[in-house]
Amino acid sequence: MATVTSTAPTIQPAVRARGIFSWRNRQLMIAFLFIVPALINFTVFRYIPIASSIRASLYEYSLLRGLRDFIGLDHYARMLNDWVFWDSLKVTALFVIYKVPIQIVLSLALAVLLQRETVGAGVVRSAVLTPMVTSVIVASIIWAMMYHSQLGLIQSMLGAVGIPRQAFLSDASRALPAITVMMIWKDLGFSLIILLAGLKAIPHTYYEAALVDGANAWEAFRRVTIPLLMPVLMFVVVTQAVFSFQVFVPVYQMTQGGPLDSTKVLVYYIYQQGFRFQDMGYASALSVVALIILIIVSYGLMRWLRPQT
Amino acid sequence: MAVADQTQHRGAAVLPRAGLESDTAKMIRRGGIAVLRAVLFAVISLIFLIPFIWMIFGSLRRETEIFQYLFPLSLHTFYPIEWTLEHYRDILGLSEAGNRAGLNFGRNLLNSFIVSTGVVVFSLLFNTMGAYFFARLKFPKKNWLLAFVLVTLFVPFEVTMIPLYIVVRYLNLQNSYWAMIVPWFASPFVIFALIQYFRDIPYELDEAALLDGASYLHILRTVIVPLAIPGLVTVSLLEFQFIWNLFYWPLIAVQDKDIQVLQVVISSQTTQEQTFWGRTFAGSALASVPVILIFLALQRYYVRGVAATGIKG
Repeated sequence: MATVTSTAPTIQPAVRARGIFSWRNRQLMIAFLFIVPALINFTVFRYIPIASSIRASLYEYSLLRGLRDFIGLDHYARMLNDWVFWDSLKVTALFVIYKVPIQIVLSLALAVLLQRETVGAGVVRSAVLTPMVTSVIVASIIWAMMYHSQLGLIQSMLGAVGIPRQAFLSDASRALPAITVMMIWKDLGFSLIILLAGLKAIPHTYYEAALVDGANAWEAFRRVTIPLLMPVLMFVVVTQAVFSFQVFVPVYQMTQGGPLDSTKVLVYYIYQQGFRFQDMGYASALSVVALIILIIVSYGLMRWLRPQT
Repeated sequence: MAVADQTQHRGAAVLPRAGLESDTAKMIRRGGIAVLRAVLFAVISLIFLIPFIWMIFGSLRRETEIFQYLFPLSLHTFYPIEWTLEHYRDILGLSEAGNRAGLNFGRNLLNSFIVSTGVVVFSLLFNTMGAYFFARLKFPKKNWLLAFVLVTLFVPFEVTMIPLYIVVRYLNLQNSYWAMIVPWFASPFVIFALIQYFRDIPYELDEAALLDGASYLHILRTVIVPLAIPGLVTVSLLEFQFIWNLFYWPLIAVQDKDIQVLQVVISSQTTQEQTFWGRTFAGSALASVPVILIFLALQRYYVRGVAATGIKG
């Protein structure tokens, strides 16, 4: 690390023992003790789970009966013909494609609107951040009630502008968009905070230079703000895509994957295989594939969105 | 720290227009824009707050009232006519109806506090030590160790819940408080954030203490920690909120309702008893209002933490 300058032992050399118990080695061992708990945690609860799920994916494995026969790549072969799996991939991709661009555009607009730190902007920011600190499960419960086909608050709001009752979560073509709207509402605060910090980091002189060149507000936004914000935007797009790809809780709470599997996302399908159908081996294989997809997608996004300089 | 110097450029990009308007026209235009902006701000705030308003007021009124005033949309769609704490008494098991339904959310609320506080305490201890190691101590191949830690930043969360469960079960920790605490006692996000905070502290302070013969632990306690309090508050806040709001992990890791956290219990309650809207509102309020209040009180730290680490908690 750059900040670590030499702590060279200038203390009496006579005191130093030789061999592995030398003063230097003792210092190193003491230093190592500081990082040991964290290393154990990451090994046991981050690295080993991935390794063990790769192993479990090669076996017949259920929670009740434990590891049984080694079956090689059979689980992966099964995936190729499992149309529910392919469908869940499609639903997951749709969710990400609906959610991420809309969320980014809305939070960018809000960030520009709120970047002057007035009292009003502070109030709006607090309001936008409140859903973000609330749990996904509470958000899902309340929104499921708001979407309720008879007694939902949204029905009452639609009624106020003359629109009759609509089915949302029980309609196969509307359930996924309904969940998407809820999750944009929930996650908008996160991208807003990051984009606000990004906007603040753009030196004011750049805007002044654009003005001198005769740019109007929109041109300044397009030519100054967007390019300079690109790394931050990229970060938000990638993290949001990765988070959204793993959506589980709203589906579990609001639709249970239905109606007609129209909201059965990948992580929900994995949960179903592992805990409802007791097939941990197949669930592990699905987890491994999801992990690989995520690595490829985030790498691809980073390559694609890399600012052209 | 990156965010600290960003705040110097507040109030960017309001571009003055080159205009030939008279002063009165300018004033009217500015006034109009101010009103429009205020209306826009109010509408945006309402969109984000209405679900909470509906939930909190709904938890404080009789169920029949919730449904009776739903149509047409009016003030009393939200605002109670007759206030009652009945739903809270029910879910806390303080009323006969609540007892009959076997509700005891007070216990689950306590579990949520125990688990979240437990994680924050362990996390403060071990992540602080880890960050101190990376920010200050000399060790061969330290960058390799840092990479080993930071790679876990990219381990996707929900996707690895089942693999994590397999390991926790193997360690025979499932269905216990430990299952909900131990996997999170160190966090790559927190270590990453704390390294940034610790690097802002001048190294001369460490050096002086080292020359006086102070141990690493002593330096950490007396030099680093007191100067990094804002950073430690920030990460504790993010961590507390993150653990408090966890759902998927406690759902699969713990089956015993007595040690289960509130988030999971309110979920199973609503799926079983779709009809008790008042209780559902009250339970949801109980599960979310504590973190919302903490957030509002410490919003400055929270925003800074998210901006610095790029994570939600």
